[in-house]
Amino acid sequence: MIRLDGVSKSFGDVRALGGISFEVPDGQITGLLGPNGAGKTTALRIVYGVLRPDAGQASVDGIDLATDRLQAQRRLGVFPHAQGLYTRLTAREHILYFGQIHGLSGEPLRRRADELIAALGMEDIADRRTEGFSQGQRVKVALARALVHDPRNVVLDEPTNGLDVAATRQVRTLLLQLRAQGRCILFSSHVMQEVSALCDRVVVIARGTVAAEGTPDDLRRQTGKESLEDAFVAAIGSEEGLA
Amino acid sequence: MSWLASFWVVLAKELREGLRDRKALITALFFPALGPILVVVMLFLVSDSTRQADEKGVEIPVAGRQNAPNLVAHLEQGARVVDAPADPVEAVRRGDVPVVIVIPPDFGEKLRAGQPAPVRLILDESRHQARPAASTAERLLGSWSHQVAAQRLIVRGVHPAVIEPLAVEREDVSTPASRAAMLLATIPFFLVMAMFTGGMPIAIDVTAGERERQSLEPLFAAPVPRSSLVLAKIAASAAFGAATLAETLVGFGLVPLAVPATRIGFSVQLDPGLLFTTFLLCLPTTVAAAALMVVFAARARSFRAAQTSLSLLMLVPSLPGMALAFQSARPPASLYAVPFLGQQLIVNELVRGMPLVPSQALLATGASLVAALVVCAFAIRTFERGQPLFDG
Repeated sequence: MIRLDGVSKSFGDVRALGGISFEVPDGQITGLLGPNGAGKTTALRIVYGVLRPDAGQASVDGIDLATDRLQAQRRLGVFPHAQGLYTRLTAREHILYFGQIHGLSGEPLRRRADELIAALGMEDIADRRTEGFSQGQRVKVALARALVHDPRNVVLDEPTNGLDVAATRQVRTLLLQLRAQGRCILFSSHVMQEVSALCDRVVVIARGTVAAEGTPDDLRRQTGKESLEDAFVAAIGSEEGLA
Repeated sequence: MSWLASFWVVLAKELREGLRDRKALITALFFPALGPILVVVMLFLVSDSTRQADEKGVEIPVAGRQNAPNLVAHLEQGARVVDAPADPVEAVRRGDVPVVIVIPPDFGEKLRAGQPAPVRLILDESRHQARPAASTAERLLGSWSHQVAAQRLIVRGVHPAVIEPLAVEREDVSTPASRAAMLLATIPFFLVMAMFTGGMPIAIDVTAGERERQSLEPLFAAPVPRSSLVLAKIAASAAFGAATLAETLVGFGLVPLAVPATRIGFSVQLDPGLLFTTFLLCLPTTVAAAALMVVFAARARSFRAAQTSLSLLMLVPSLPGMALAFQSARPPASLYAVPFLGQQLIVNELVRGMPLVPSQALLATGASLVAALVVCAFAIRTFERGQPLFDG
C-alpha cells in the first residue's frame, strides 16, 4: 500500500505539486493520469524516494520515506522515469546487480533471474550487452530489474511509452499478473485507453493537484459525462496534453 | 543489506564495467609507459651530449691538415682530428659533422711572414648538439694562436704576460649525474598524472556518464545508502588510479635496466623498496584525486564538459611540484602539508637518493588523508541532494 499525504514540491519558483493526497491499495492497479507536466513524475519520484517533498508525507506499507527511505524502497519495485541501462553489462547482469542491491545472492538470485527472463520472453537477449537494444528490449530489462526482489508494491512511470503494440500488450499482461498476485500497483500514463483498459482506480492530477479520484465509473458519474475521455477532460479542465 | 555489502556490490559492478571499458583500459595500460619512456629517451640524449662534451671524444674534421702540421698537432692534444668531408659547408649545414676547420694552402706562408694566417671555422650556431665540438675547436684554435703570439713576444724580448690582462679560469661544475638527476625530478609529476589519468575514465563514466545514460535514477530508487554508492564509485576510480600509479612506478623501476649506470655516469636509485614506499605514500592522494574527479564530473553539465574540467583539474596539483622540483633550494616545511605537493617533494628527494624523513612523510600523508576525507564528504553531500544528478 502506498500513501501520499498533503505532498507538495516546488522547483525554484515552479510549484510542481500543491499538496496532493491519495492512497494506492493492494491488489489493485491504480493509474495516475494527467497531461504532460501535471506532476505525475514528481509524485512518483517522491514515492520511490529519489525526491524529498517540501511538505507532506509519503509512505510505503506504512513506512515513512522521509524517516526510513531504505526500508520503504526495499518494498518497492521501481520502473522509473529515466531507465537507462549500463551498455557494458548484459541484460542478465542488470537483473543480478539489482538483485544483489536488494540483498539477494547465489542460487536463489540466479533462479529468480531465469524466472524473469522466461516470464518476459527475453531469453534471446539475456546474455547480450545492452548496447544497441531496442526500446522494447530496454523496457523488458528495466521491468526485470524492477521486479527481481519480488516487491509487494510496484511503481511504474509511463511503462508503455515508446513501445509497439505487441510490447504494450506484454506489459499490460504483466501488470494484470502482478495484480492477480495481490500486489499494489501504481503507474502513470497520459494515454487514456491504457488507463481505462487496465485500471481499477484512477487518480487524475492536473497542475499539481488531484482533480478527481475513483473507479472509471465513479469518474463518469462525478463529471456527468458519458465517455471516460469526456470525463477526463472535464476533470482536468482542458484537453491540453492528453493523448 | 548492510552499508558495507551495498558498497561492495556497487564497487564490484563499477570495476566490472570499468574493465570492459576499452578507453579506461587503454589509458590504464598505456599511460604508465609514457613517463618512463620519456625519461629513458632523455637520459640517452643527455648522456650522449655529455659524452661528446668530454673533449677526448670530440671529433674535429680538418680540411688541408697538410698545410699546418704544427696546428694539427696542437688540435690533436684536445680532440681527435679527422679528415673533413668534401663539401664542408654543406656537411655542417646538414649536421653530418658538428664543425669543420679549413686550413688554406697559404697558411704556412702567411704565418712565416708574420701576417694573420687565415683559418676558416665552419659551424652552425643553431645546432645545440654541435656546440660542444664547436667550442672545443674555438678554444683549441685560440690557445694555439695565443701560444704562437707568446713565442713571438719572447723572441722580441717582451714578457707574454703583457698581452694577458685577464687570467680566466674555466670551471664547469655540471656533471653528467647532476644533469641526469634533473630528469628524475619529472618522476613526481608523472606519478600525479598517473593517479589522475588512470582513474579519470571511471570517474567520468560513473557520474556524468551515468547521467547521460539516465541509469542513475533506478539506482537512486533502489535501497542503497547514497554514501556507500558514492564511496564505491570513488573507490572504483581510485582502484584504476592506483593500478596506473603502480604500473608507472614499475616502469620507472625498469629505467636503470634500460640505461646502464656506466653510460650516464651515475646510478638511478629506484629499487623495489623505494618504489613500494612511494606507492604507499601516494595512496591517500590517489583516493583524494578520485574523490575530486567524482565531485567535479558529477557537477559537470555533460560527459564532454566533465572531460574538459577534469583535464584542467589534473594540472592544478601536478604543476607546482614540477616547478619546485627544478628549484634546488630546500622547500619550507609547511609545503609538505599541501596534498599532492608534499608527496611530490618527498618523492623527488627519494629518487635523488636522499633518505625518507618520517616527520615529513607523516605530515604529507596526514594532510592528504584529511583532504581525501573532506572531498569524500563533499561527494556524499552532492549525491544526497540527488536530483540534479539524474535530471541532466
